[in-house]
Formats: sequence, C-alpha cells, structure tokens
Amino acid sequence: MDELRMTDQKIWPPRFRKWSRRERDNFKIGMLFLLPWTIGFLVFTLYPMLASLVYSFAVYHARQPLEWVGLKNYIDLFQDDLFWTALYNTLYMVVIGVPLTLLASFFCAILLNLKVRGQAFYRVVYFLPSIVPTVASTILWLWILNPQAGILNTVLGYIGIHGPNWMSNPAWSKPGLIMLGLWGMGNTIIIYLSGLQDVSVSLLEAAELDGANWWQRLWHVTVPMVSPITLFNLITGVIAMFQYFAQAYVFRGFQNLGYPLNSTLFYSVLLYQNAFQWLKMGYASAMAWVLFIIILVCTLLLLKISDKFTYYAG
Amino acid sequence: MKKLFSLLSILMIASLLLSACGTQAPASSEPKVLRVWIQWGDNPQQIQTLFDKYTAETGIKVEVTAPLEVDKILPALTGSEPPDILVLSGGDLVKSYYKEGLVDELSPAIKSGSIDLTDFFDAPLQQCKMGDKILCLPWGSDMYALFWNKDLFEAAGLDPNTPPATMEQLAEFSDKLTKVNPDGTLEQIGFLPDQGWGHSELYTNMFGGFWYNEDGTKITANTQPVIDALKWEQQFYTKYGVDNVMAFSSGWADAYMSGDYPFYTGKLAMYVDGEWMTGPNFISKFKPEASYGVAAFPPPADHPERANTGVASGTVAVIPSGAADKEASAKLLAWMMSPAIVAEEFCFNANLPTSKKAAEDPCFTSNPKFKVFMDLMANPNAKVVVTTPISLEFNDAWTLLEEQVLHTGADPQPLLEKLQADFEPKLAESLK
Repeated sequence: MDELRMTDQKIWPPRFRKWSRRERDNFKIGMLFLLPWTIGFLVFTLYPMLASLVYSFAVYHARQPLEWVGLKNYIDLFQDDLFWTALYNTLYMVVIGVPLTLLASFFCAILLNLKVRGQAFYRVVYFLPSIVPTVASTILWLWILNPQAGILNTVLGYIGIHGPNWMSNPAWSKPGLIMLGLWGMGNTIIIYLSGLQDVSVSLLEAAELDGANWWQRLWHVTVPMVSPITLFNLITGVIAMFQYFAQAYVFRGFQNLGYPLNSTLFYSVLLYQNAFQWLKMGYASAMAWVLFIIILVCTLLLLKISDKFTYYAG
Repeated sequence: MKKLFSLLSILMIASLLLSACGTQAPASSEPKVLRVWIQWGDNPQQIQTLFDKYTAETGIKVEVTAPLEVDKILPALTGSEPPDILVLSGGDLVKSYYKEGLVDELSPAIKSGSIDLTDFFDAPLQQCKMGDKILCLPWGSDMYALFWNKDLFEAAGLDPNTPPATMEQLAEFSDKLTKVNPDGTLEQIGFLPDQGWGHSELYTNMFGGFWYNEDGTKITANTQPVIDALKWEQQFYTKYGVDNVMAFSSGWADAYMSGDYPFYTGKLAMYVDGEWMTGPNFISKFKPEASYGVAAFPPPADHPERANTGVASGTVAVIPSGAADKEASAKLLAWMMSPAIVAEEFCFNANLPTSKKAAEDPCFTSNPKFKVFMDLMANPNAKVVVTTPISLEFNDAWTLLEEQVLHTGADPQPLLEKLQADFEPKLAESLK
C-alpha cells in the first residue's frame, strides 16, 4: 500500500522542469494558431453568453442603462401562456420528431449498407436533400404539402385518401415539419452508415452460425454495436430540435409566425419574437438561459440513462 | 523569431480591441455617403436609381440597402453606425423604437428641411403622431377596398357592375356566389373576410370603433364594434362550415404572386385587397383578361354615413437617433418627401402617394380602379391603423385571436375580454 502511494507521488504532482527554447517557441506557435479561434470564442460566444445572462435579470433599453428587475423576467416567463405553448410545441418535435428521425435513418442506413448494384448511387440520392439549404428545401416542401396543388395530397388522392390541410390545420402542421426533417436526414444516415461498417463481421457470423435469423442478428448484434452512434445522434438531434427555428420561420409562408393557431410557435421562434419584434431583449435572454438549462438537463439525463443501453466495445 | 511572434500577437490583439471599441474618426461637416435602409423593397435596383438622382443634384452619394429583415434593424439602430434614414414597412414599430430612444422626434428635421406638413394626406400622417410629436413621415401608403369578379357575378345572376351596397348585402351576395357540392365541400366561395391576411381594422372601423382609442392611450378590444366586426367576419366561415372553408382556402395565401390565386381562378368571388393589385405587377400581370371591379368597402346598413371609410397604413421614414449627421439626414428626408420623388417612387410601385401634390400626377388618376383608392385616402372618413409602443406584440396576439374566431369558430367575446385584460397593463406600462 505504502509502496503504491510512493509510486503515485512520483507521478503526481508532476515535476515541472524548465522548458527548452524550442519548446517555448513551439508553445508560442501553437498559441498563435489558437488565437483566431480563441478570440472568436471570447468575443462572439462567451461575451454574448455572459451579456445575455446579465440582461436576463434586467429590462434591456437600447440606449439607456439596464433597468434591474431581479428574477422578474423568469417569473413572468413561467406565467406566460405563449412560453408554455412554445415549450409544448418544441417538446412535441423532440419527443416525436427525434426518435422518428433516428429510426428512419437507421433503417435507411441498413438498406444503404446492403451490397447491391448501384449502392453508391442510392447513397448519393439519400444524402442529396441534406445539402439543399434549409430555406430552399422548406419552400419546396411548402409546395409539396400545399393541400390544393401539392404533390403529396395529389398522390394520396390517387389511393383514395383525402389529404389533410398540412399548413392550415394545427393538428397537421408539426407532422408536416417532421416529414420535412425526415427528408433531410442524410447526415444522420451517414453517421449510422459509418457505425454499421464498424460492426464486427465475426460477431455477425458467429450469431449466424448459432442460428440467429436476420432480425435476431440485427436486434442482438447490430443495434447494441451501434448504440454509441445512436446516443450521439440522439443527443445532437435533441439539441438541434430544441433550437428549431429556420424551418418554422419559413414554413408559415405569408402567414404570421406560429401559424396556424400558434401550432408552429417553437421556443426559438418565440425567443426571436420577443427579442427582435417586441424589443424585450431581457425577457428573451431569460428565455435563452431557461432553454440552455433545459438542454443541459436533457443531455445529462440522456447520458445517465444511456449507461444501461450503450455498449462500448473494447 | 521570438520577437516576431510577440509583435504579431500584440498587433492582432491591439487591432481587434481598437475595432471593438468603435473608435471613429471625427465626422466631417458634410458626409460623402448617406445610407438609406428600406425594410420593404421588391426592387432594390430601382430604389437605388431613384436615390442616384439625389447624388446627381447634390454630389452626396446615397447607398440603399433593401429589403431588410426586422432582426437586422434593431442591432443597426443600437450600434455605432446606424443608417442615416430608415424606411419601415409600417408605423407599428415607430413608437417602440422612439420609446427606446432609437429614433428621433422629427420636428427639428421638419424645420431644417422645410418639409411642408400640409402637403401630407391626413390619414397616413396620423400614424406618425404621438401626442403633439411627429416620429416619422409617411412615404407611401396603402388603402383597402372590395374586389369582385364580374364573371362570377354574372353567372350568379347579379349585376356585374353593382357591388354590394351594405355589409349585410355583401353577405347575401356571398351566399348567391357560393357553390357547395353535395358532400358539403366547396366549389366556389362568395367572400372570404381574411383572404391573404386579416382586415379586421377595416371591418371594425365600419362598425364604428377600433381596438385602441383614437390617440392610442387605451385598449378597447372588448367593445361592441370589435365584437360585431368579428362576428360579422365569422359568419362566412360558420355558415359554409369552418372545416369546409379551411380545406377549400388552405394554401391560397401562398399563391398570391401567381396565376393560381383563387380570385383569378374563379374560386373566390369577392375579397378585400390593396391598391397595388390594380397596378402593373399583379392582376394585369398574372391574369390580364380578368374582368373585375373595385369599390370602397360598403358600410353597415344602419350607418350609411360610414361609406367610403378606408384605413391607411404604409411605409414611413424615420431618422435614427444615432445618425452621424442629422442635418444631412434631414435634407435627404426632405428630398424624399418632395412631390416629384414621391410621385416617381409610388407611380412605379403602384402604391398611394402620401403627398397631395404628388397625387395630382396623371399616373395616379388615369386608372379609374386605382383612383378608387386615391379617393379613399382623400376622403374625410379616412382612418388610420392606430399604433402604440406595444403594437407588434399586440398585433401578434390579435392575429391569433382572429384565427381562433374565424378558423375554429370560437366565440369572440371571452377571447377579447382576455386580450383586453392581458394588454391593458402592458400598454399602461409602455406609455409611462
């Protein structure tokens, strides 16, 4: 025991020796290369973040000093109907949209991983939508989902289904947006695809020799083997969905933000409205920090729960 | 080597700090370049060409930036180099910007630029007034009137040249012009009160009120004219079935700039729209053969004196309080507001000129359909959309309420009571 402690002490704390001239120069060169990022981070990320934390306890006046109101912005927030509407809408997208995207992209990745003729072609086709800019693809979907002239309802009509009013019915606007998201899931597919290629062939063969069918091999070998990828996609997906903005901003077409009936009033949309349209920058800052905390808690929770479901080989 | 790195690092940090501090060279007495930002602006090149004339006259270059999203405006106004003149799409934001000290009261500019306030039509100028202060000057204006499809009138056995004379008659005409399929779905609809966007300000004024009092110091959302207007609008949804009307009209707003617009395709017989529709860029572009009429929106039967009531709204120009050279801004503002320039700009865009002298230009009087709107603006009954420092937030809440009433068939009264209760304290707070 004592011996062990002795060894520990040898490693920690480390003994600093004087740097050689070369090491010092290397350090400076390294720091110089880091400088652009560091300055960018300090000026454009850390400073605005801290400023918004300060503003969140005040009424922000553009050209006059801040008016301190303590926790009022936070208290008002929890009494604001719009805040709860926006939170509900956002959670709907997180709870339904993210798992659906993961499931769909996982199965697409499995299909794209099959050794078939034209594999590269299919991969390109599935990835293409994700390089279309968000605004352009959203406008495209406005036309696809147009209840009168849109291709989706026309096709549904051929098979005898009377398609819903995707854009003006509050029950269908969010599912419409989720479909839009599914169309652009190329990035998630690519990440899954790389994960699938890491699944050990010997494990799959061993399972096959043991008599496991396709489904059993998928469920008992592939799914656990790609579980770290699932966790990564889940967390990035949840974070992105909590910040959902651009599609909702464009999707309303000529209508007001949140149309129809505030069913597309997402958290970031309400934050934007408060900050830039209603000039309530302090209130919007409080909203931003509440969102930050929600995302932080969700991420930590997911990481905690994931211990049981994630398998890290090696 | 060592010195070189230290020097480079110091230089980089120093230059960054300097630029962040926003140190400026002292402004010269006559700035060489003035910057005009225009929130709306379908045709930035044309606007730039217009302002190039100012350069030709004075030698001062003018840079136009248009169009702008609202989120660019606030940082610009709070920053160290705001535009010299800002043209906003409507008067909604002006009072909140003024309250935050972002834009100037214009009396000094009006004086130094010798701007003749009597040349402005009263209604559009009204949206710029707060008490006795003038916070903006209206540049172009919009008015709304009733459009009707003459072919559909004829097919329904109505006189194609006689629009409804009262709001009640409009509802009767609408019934005659609405075609319902045996399964309840619609094939044609007579009138849609909120086609494109809501027009409650017009209907509410026709019922003799508005959701603010005249000087914008009180919210009057739960008063009878507002309730009556919403109920009148609601009938066009409820009597043909809210779901049917929603299904039939869904996606129509997005077809505004295309030949698929329901008014052109014969699906919608009557609706409310603005003067620009009668200009070169809309109906005559998308459906040149359309046979349609335009008339002032009719008053309720028991208030014929409210005939020819129109509600003005439109672009307004402000001078940011941080503008570098107020004198130069004022001169440019005066030039912008001169009748010849107003006439040229709004003749091109087919919007109403706010200058009475500009309005004499044949460009605005030769088209009888466009003249309907000109007459509405000159009419003593002309009203304005009253604005307050909380206009934008209130408008969003109003739009939601209007949606609830029209698109779900909700009873307007309790919703209006809640709106009143929510916004009364907010308005009071904003006017402190």
